[in-house]
Amino acid sequence: MHSTVVRAQNVFGFFTTVAFAVAALIAFTDIISPRTPKASVSMSKVEVVRGRPNYYSTKKEEYAVLRFNLNADFSSLMNWNTKQLFVYVSASWPNATSSELTNEAVIWDTIITNPSADHLQNIGPAAMKKLKKSAIGKTTDPSRGKINLKNQKAKYQITAPNGKLAETNDVVLKVHYNIQPWVGLLTWTPQMEFGNWKMMKGGVSKLFNFPALKVKKAAESKS
Amino acid sequence: MADQLLEQARELFEGQIDFEGQRLTEFGATALLAIAGAISFIVGYFRQDIKLALFIGLGGTAVTFLAVVPPWPVFNRRPVKWLSTSSDVDTSDVFVDGNSEG
Repeated sequence: MHSTVVRAQNVFGFFTTVAFAVAALIAFTDIISPRTPKASVSMSKVEVVRGRPNYYSTKKEEYAVLRFNLNADFSSLMNWNTKQLFVYVSASWPNATSSELTNEAVIWDTIITNPSADHLQNIGPAAMKKLKKSAIGKTTDPSRGKINLKNQKAKYQITAPNGKLAETNDVVLKVHYNIQPWVGLLTWTPQMEFGNWKMMKGGVSKLFNFPALKVKKAAESKS
Repeated sequence: MADQLLEQARELFEGQIDFEGQRLTEFGATALLAIAGAISFIVGYFRQDIKLALFIGLGGTAVTFLAVVPPWPVFNRRPVKWLSTSSDVDTSDVFVDGNSEG
């Protein structure tokens, strides 16, 4: 510590140690913070249509077009270390060739951000003003973890590798989430209880079937 | 004249401090950084505000840099008293390699 350069080096060196220790502590608080997510999901409308994977394709596949209801409470996942929460709904059905495997495809997803990312949203000025007003003076906004969707259209039409989907039985919708923290580990929907992290309550729909192929003028002109 | 200026500039740049000052800066740097880190975590956790924690940590580090790095006069209050080079000091009790220097 005899000269300026040595002192600067020593202070910076110990600063990195302290920064790492504080970051580790912050990551650790995630483990003791309770996570009690709840969700109920149900299919409201489903049809199977024929279509092409892209405009120039000559291949025709069957696509399931779904609508669903989702009522979820993820507010316990939004704490000071939550950067954003990714919520997605998948449809899964038994694999025709194997009893151990299931086919699963994501039909809808959303990103729930924390208030500090509001200015990055790609929305109009009026909606932006409203969004910013809703989070004024808040560092975290757990109310954003509440989702209430009725008859929501799926974002993605799904198909199967063999292109056949009509008249598939025992399809189920599942809700999943992925927490992206500021510091610490990425975590997905837990498959088992872990301390204060509870399994999601609900989050699985009743079984339903994909109907027979819809033959309609609209579907035909599309294909 | 130029040499003198250069010498002053060099001293300013090197910023040497005495041994007591080195002990002080060592302790000061460790204590200030550790306290800033602890405060940033505790305040951030109870306010549930990670940005606040970040800025307290960075602010504490900036304060530590300011307090420790420049050669403040406090760190030079007990400079080492070197023996003079002239022969008017009594060196009869100074021995080098067994020979009296007196």
